[in-house]
Amino acid sequence: MIHSLEAPLYQAAISTFEELGFMLPSRELTPAQSAAPPEAAATVRFDGPVAGALTIYLFGGVLAALAANMLGSDDAPEPALQRDALGELANVICGTVLPAVGGADADFHLAAPRVTDSAETSFDAALALSESSMARAVLAMDDGRAEIHLFVARTTPIPLEVAS
Amino acid sequence: MNFNVLVVDDSAVMRGMIVKTLRLSGLPLGEIHHAANGAEGLERLGEHWIDIALLDVNMPVMSGEEMLEQVRSNPETRDLAVVVVSTERSTSRIERLCQLGAAFVQKPFTPEMLRETVFRVAGVSDDSLAGSAAVSGGDLDF
Repeated sequence: MIHSLEAPLYQAAISTFEELGFMLPSRELTPAQSAAPPEAAATVRFDGPVAGALTIYLFGGVLAALAANMLGSDDAPEPALQRDALGELANVICGTVLPAVGGADADFHLAAPRVTDSAETSFDAALALSESSMARAVLAMDDGRAEIHLFVARTTPIPLEVAS
Repeated sequence: MNFNVLVVDDSAVMRGMIVKTLRLSGLPLGEIHHAANGAEGLERLGEHWIDIALLDVNMPVMSGEEMLEQVRSNPETRDLAVVVVSTERSTSRIERLCQLGAAFVQKPFTPEMLRETVFRVAGVSDDSLAGSAAVSGGDLDF
């Protein structure tokens, strides 16, 4: 299951960062990128024939550049817009990878993205969850990296209203 | 003719991206209105004359699909030109949206993809526009 979802997850993440975020992600990380500090995470829960969630973790100051790119702005957008941008990226990557999870004709419902920054107490718990993901994509960009984790419920669907 | 546009998406960043693409596309724009969900979108339609609506699908309060069903069932709005801009990948759901008379642009989209679909829905071409379009093909540099 892990290997069959990893390739489509990478494909979805790369195309989204390129086409929506105007970034050039790479699968090769430098030591500095690997050690970059966490800054924010966004989770999109989904329900349908299969339930689960997709979480993006950003490290190393990528978020401001990403949001600026999306808005076509020279300056870093205000924090609320940066969070919005990250949530939308998670939303798009999740929607793009779901056919690989449930099939081309599966109807999924995606919950609104929930964004946490590294200063919030819930962030560490969210980061710890990444170790149990079903598939993972790690992409280097600028001075940092993005980690995209896909969680798929094996038996019991994850309620959309459960706080992350 | 200037086109009045309604952009419906729960992401302010996505609404901004769509509006920016439209401004750079060369399409003659009039008023641009925003809504964060389908219910707000219907309110905007009741308040303003709209020529083209661009809708997301997955939104809180009211989805884009529900909004589109109500648009098509209202005699005053049933002929509205609609482009759905969404991450939706389900073939059956996309087909339902197309049967409701919407064009479809999948996220992530390139500016060229969005421009081409909006131009087609609006019934304009590069030749029909006075002056050259800001984007005529190739890469868009923001």
